[in-house]
Amino acid sequence: MFSLPVWVAVLALVYLDFPIRVGTAAICAHGQECHAPSLADLFDRVIQQSSRVHGISSELHSDYEQYFFPSKNHIGKRKCHTYSILTPADKENAQRLGREELTEVILRLLGAWGDPLSQLHRSMTQDQNQDFNHYSSNKALEMSDMVHELRSGVTKVAEKMKLLGVISNALGYMSSPESLAPSSVSSSYERGDFNSIDHHDLLYCFRRDSNKVKNYLRILKCTTLPELDC
Amino acid sequence: MRRAVGSVPLLLMLFFIGHAKETRYSPPGKPKLTSCRSPEKETFTCWWEPGSDGGLPTTYALYYRKENSDAVYECPDYHTAGENSCFFNKNDTSIWVNYNITVVATNALGSNFSDPVDVDVVYIVQPHTPENVTVTVMEDKDGPFLRVSWEPPRKADTRSGWITLIYELRVKLEGEEEWEEHRAGQQKMFNIFSLRSGGMYLVQVRCKPDHGFWSEWSSTTYIKVPDYFPRETSVWILIAVFSAFIFFILTWILNLKSNSVKHCLLPPVPGPKIKGFDKQLLKNGRSEEVFSALVVPGFPPTTSSDCEDLLVEYLEVYTPEEQELILEEGKDLQEGCLKSKGSPSDSDSGRGSCDSHTLLMEKCGEGEGKEEKHQERAQKGKRQQKHQTGWEEGDVSHTREDVLSPDMSEGRVKTWPSVFSPLPQYSSRPLDHQGSLETARQLCLSDSLFPPPSTSSHLSYNAKEGLALGSGQQEFYLGKKQTHPSNPQSQPRWHLQAHSDFNISSMDRKQAASGLQLPGFRSTEYVEVQRVNQEDMVILQPLFSSSCQRDGHLQIGQGEDYSKVKGVDSGNMLLLQREVEVKREEEDGDRYSCDIQDRVTESCYTTSTAASSQVTGKPTSCAGTAMPVQEEMVLAANGYVDAATMLL
Repeated sequence: MFSLPVWVAVLALVYLDFPIRVGTAAICAHGQECHAPSLADLFDRVIQQSSRVHGISSELHSDYEQYFFPSKNHIGKRKCHTYSILTPADKENAQRLGREELTEVILRLLGAWGDPLSQLHRSMTQDQNQDFNHYSSNKALEMSDMVHELRSGVTKVAEKMKLLGVISNALGYMSSPESLAPSSVSSSYERGDFNSIDHHDLLYCFRRDSNKVKNYLRILKCTTLPELDC
Repeated sequence: MRRAVGSVPLLLMLFFIGHAKETRYSPPGKPKLTSCRSPEKETFTCWWEPGSDGGLPTTYALYYRKENSDAVYECPDYHTAGENSCFFNKNDTSIWVNYNITVVATNALGSNFSDPVDVDVVYIVQPHTPENVTVTVMEDKDGPFLRVSWEPPRKADTRSGWITLIYELRVKLEGEEEWEEHRAGQQKMFNIFSLRSGGMYLVQVRCKPDHGFWSEWSSTTYIKVPDYFPRETSVWILIAVFSAFIFFILTWILNLKSNSVKHCLLPPVPGPKIKGFDKQLLKNGRSEEVFSALVVPGFPPTTSSDCEDLLVEYLEVYTPEEQELILEEGKDLQEGCLKSKGSPSDSDSGRGSCDSHTLLMEKCGEGEGKEEKHQERAQKGKRQQKHQTGWEEGDVSHTREDVLSPDMSEGRVKTWPSVFSPLPQYSSRPLDHQGSLETARQLCLSDSLFPPPSTSSHLSYNAKEGLALGSGQQEFYLGKKQTHPSNPQSQPRWHLQAHSDFNISSMDRKQAASGLQLPGFRSTEYVEVQRVNQEDMVILQPLFSSSCQRDGHLQIGQGEDYSKVKGVDSGNMLLLQREVEVKREEEDGDRYSCDIQDRVTESCYTTSTAASSQVTGKPTSCAGTAMPVQEEMVLAANGYVDAATMLL
């Protein structure tokens, strides 16, 4: 039947008491009662994800600043393509916004950055400058993927909140996120020729927007679910 | 408006330049923005460092521009945050907006702009220190621990989620230099374990936003840990006590068995085992004393150093059924004893020549003990004789087996034909034999020599042997009992008593008191021991014969006597023959003296056993129990020679 090594391995696993991490996601078998993750769990996941995204963007941005722009005196005419999305710039404004709008803003922001990040990654890999680009392009790729996941996660959170009656169904942004992107930006992206300066500006803008997302999510969580963590 | 304001200082500077060329006034130095900080992400403050003022009163102004706007604004508040600072309140603060800030120093002579600085508030957050840091000691099953709790700084709004702080604390013992730091994450409580009993601890906490600057450490909180007994120490103490206990047990056992251990590890070096050897003397270096101690008095024998003494060891007389007298002399006791009479039952090698009828005579020097084997001993028969060892004189530790095994059972009677005569006086004397060279004389009397009724010449032997497990000393003493003291004619019994103490293992043999009853002797000539002279010589004389006293001569009156020594054959046997005279034998000679006085000796006697020779003789006059010499010799040869010396 089973050979000796198999048995040994089985016994080892049993007795060594490997820690088995139980994730918050339930594994539903057929006919079993399934427990979806709670809103708090969803919020924790998206907040962790957004925090990671922000971390990567900060790293990339600082790398670019060291390599290409040692002097801080460079002041470019930096205009992020998401400037048209109105975002609360302080706490009062953010708290005054309400959950639905806040969720919408978040989703808008995340939607606006899907394509540009992919193009950034593509542009970075095509750049034959040095190894720096190779290292950075991996990060850009990772960042791009995470943003996509984050967006789907926040969507789930919004749906959950709607399910729970926390927010109303008066939002229609989920249907077409691509339309949120400002045309000027998308036009420039379509051109497809980015240079290093463009990279740097892009990263600057994204770092800020990821910070906004993270912050808005936290506010959303703490206003929706006031807990000890807040 | 600002430009108009800005032009005034220029005019003033021109005026002053025109007027005061000789003074050292100059336009101000370049200011420098040192830092901008926001404690709660809602307001922020910028500080600058003024340059040289140029000797003139200088004013500073801070101007900023917001992102994507060309409008220049001046600092709304120069005072709230102190000197050379600019405080931006909530209304003027926008997050996620890039501020371009510049400071201008202006004096009469000119102004100076600082380098612009871009500031985004979200990245310059440095909160205040955490507040309400409390430390308490709590108990656990493992011991006490510290629980540190705190609160976020008052202004930081973490409850709405606007700002997220992570905390860090550090602990150290009072007097130490190194802090022990711990990250607490977003929690506002922390436990510290593994405390020193009775120690005083210092605790501090600080915080940081997820992207920002660390706050300052909070003020130190002191906490004292109460005294407790740590569990690990108690376990170690238990182990130490147990180990000590085991160690003491082992030490005690080792002490008890120290001898065997010492014996095992350090086997003793064999030392000299010479009797009388004194190691101490040797160590002292006096060899003369050491060796003098070894000297055994009496050895080599200086006194009575006659050759005779050495030669005559024992005299064994035995007669077969013909009652012949056989004298045997053995030089060596052992050999003599080894010899058997050749009687069939004589299988004991240790038997002396006296199978129950040997007289043991002690050496003169040490006194003699004659041991007569009583016929009873013969009856004892099987008894193996150690006690015969009386014979063995000379050997301290000689174990003579069946020296005197009586052989009477065979009917062979060995008699001393009138060898012995009652001695007038003979007192037993206990003799101490010392030294290893003691020899005892043996005289064996055969029972048949003496007729029972005529006890005039009845010799009774009382050989008593006291065998004692002694130190190897033999005690021989010769005792004589006079059985007929009153009868002058009667022959006093002469009892030989021999005591011998042997260090013989076979001591168990008791020597039966051998009252040697002499059976009837058909025709006998008796030899009796006349006396023992002062030289411890046994003087024999024929009983019947007239007294003849002649040393060295044996004179027999009427009867025959075998006193004459024919010679010594090769077998070291002294051959006696019937002679009127007997001539002296060996070096020590056989001396005979006969007492002519009315001795009725029924047996003729021959005496003198030379130590080195055997005397074999047949009493001719004695009742015809003559045996051919050869037979005697044979018999003598078969048996053992008693190294009995007889002194006449």
